[in-house]
Amino acid sequence: MIAALRRHLGIYGAIAAVVPKEYLAYNLWFWAEFVVQILAMIIYVYFWRAVYSGVDRLGGLTLDQTLNYILLARILAPAIESRLIFHFGFLIGQGQVAVELTRPLDLQARYYVQELTGLGVFLLLKLPLLAIAIVFFGLRLPADPAVWLAFLASLALGHAALFCFDWMFACLAFYTTETWGLSMVRVGVAQFFSGALVPLAMLPGWLQQAAAALPFAQAMAVPLGLLSGVTPVSQAPGFWLVQLAWLAGLGLAARLVFAVAVRKVTVQGG
Amino acid sequence: MPVIQVEDLRKVFYIPRKDPGVAGAVRALFRPRFEPKVAVDGITFHVEPGEMVGYIGVNGAGKSTTIKMLTGVLQPSGGVARVLGRDPHRQRVANAREIGVVFGQRTQLWWDLAFIESLNLVSKIYEVPPRRYRELLDRFAETLELGELLHVPIRNMSLGQKMRAELAATLIHEPRVVYLDEPTIGLDLIVKEHIRDFIKEQNRTKGTTVILTTHDLGDIEELCQRVIIIDAGRLIYDGPLSTIKARFGKYREITFETPARADGLHLPPGAEVTEQEARKFTLRFDRTLTTASQVAAAVMDQIDVLDFSLAEPDLAAIIKQIYNGALREAAAPEASA
Repeated sequence: MIAALRRHLGIYGAIAAVVPKEYLAYNLWFWAEFVVQILAMIIYVYFWRAVYSGVDRLGGLTLDQTLNYILLARILAPAIESRLIFHFGFLIGQGQVAVELTRPLDLQARYYVQELTGLGVFLLLKLPLLAIAIVFFGLRLPADPAVWLAFLASLALGHAALFCFDWMFACLAFYTTETWGLSMVRVGVAQFFSGALVPLAMLPGWLQQAAAALPFAQAMAVPLGLLSGVTPVSQAPGFWLVQLAWLAGLGLAARLVFAVAVRKVTVQGG
Repeated sequence: MPVIQVEDLRKVFYIPRKDPGVAGAVRALFRPRFEPKVAVDGITFHVEPGEMVGYIGVNGAGKSTTIKMLTGVLQPSGGVARVLGRDPHRQRVANAREIGVVFGQRTQLWWDLAFIESLNLVSKIYEVPPRRYRELLDRFAETLELGELLHVPIRNMSLGQKMRAELAATLIHEPRVVYLDEPTIGLDLIVKEHIRDFIKEQNRTKGTTVILTTHDLGDIEELCQRVIIIDAGRLIYDGPLSTIKARFGKYREITFETPARADGLHLPPGAEVTEQEARKFTLRFDRTLTTASQVAAAVMDQIDVLDFSLAEPDLAAIIKQIYNGALREAAAPEASA
């Protein structure tokens, strides 16, 4: 058992180690992305200041609370920005899936490791952005280690659940070949229903219910609520249970969907 | 015990069928229609350990589909495929550990990483012991001349460099069975030679079983003693290359160089001039009716000859005959006899 665990850690650890190298392969892309994110942060801050002009509270949140939440949402954005669905379309469309299926790896585990490491890399790359937000826009971070632990556990659970959700839709590529349209819809829906654009508390009741019925908020609004102080840390265990339920349900469904979909694989281009 | 067992293997794809025009495209949105396309149609063969088998056929014959079923990528529609005793699709991961695959038109290496980074990762995925990995890396770097490529990203490599890198990555875990799907496609003669020598060495020293699909018959002649020919998804020949050559290579060619143009030659039965130039001509003769020495003697009795050369049967021409139905024609008289 321990030997098997060590074996898997060695294999998937090596896969994880490659991720930062791939992200940093293009210098220009790295710097362009950095500049774009600073600009986006400035736009978001001024947008929300304009929204609050003449208003003290929206959805029960003050301007300071909302700005704190939105600034953190900008930094945490990679948690909902998976490109898995698009990537699967590429794998099937280009026939590269043949190569991926001849590697002695559990494909789902391999992609989960890549996505999780990718999230870690992106969050690290956002540290300068975090510093800018603290210095210039008054972002406040919690001092209590318990809050950070609650946040990290919630982020890990929510991200894993969302990965399984994306995995199921990515598997549609085995049937449709093309997933560009679906991946575009996914980006928009995830931004809105995760609470990355607008705090979910500000949405009308029926939209809040729709957001609760989707897993996007589990990877953004729920961990962010803990980190920004909107949700008291004492409520964290309740949120973790809900996230675990999402993860168990979506995890099982994702395994089943892949087991069926992989039988349908065709390799484009001979 | 065979390394690869294939019994009555079938693969049927369902291809979407759309009527032409915008109306057809719109109709397909609401009532999609699919037509079955049989890519592999009841193929049976066995491959023993250490064999190098050429698996050939025209485009669309079902070669790559068979390879993809044997590598576990595709699920067969019927029949049985076993590699080292395993079902390649159901036991995909276990099967993948023991095999190596080169898809000539795709890469298994990480596009943006230096080659050595890709190779390190492949060795970890296949759990190659570090010491063994270093030994093999040194050996491969020497035989495939990879030294200067180790720190080059795959995206910056030429086709020939990339294929050498692919081969190293495929064989670094010393797989027992290797599938090479058009490994020399688009390569120049020198790189082809390198790659063929390397494959031969792996087979000789490690007893690696090799299945090679290619359109380059030079690969087959250099590497394989046995060929399997498929056409329209069906197996039409499985046997020694030499038998095919003996059976269908009944024509040979002799080229003569002469001081002047030679016309009006009287030739033995079964011989004819196929090419005529000012000071050179080529004769083709049926070796079941006459011999090379009889043809050469007949020519030299009539004209002065500066030089002559005898060409071995051309495999490309033989395979072309087979694709054009020569096997069926040969089988028909036997069946009626």
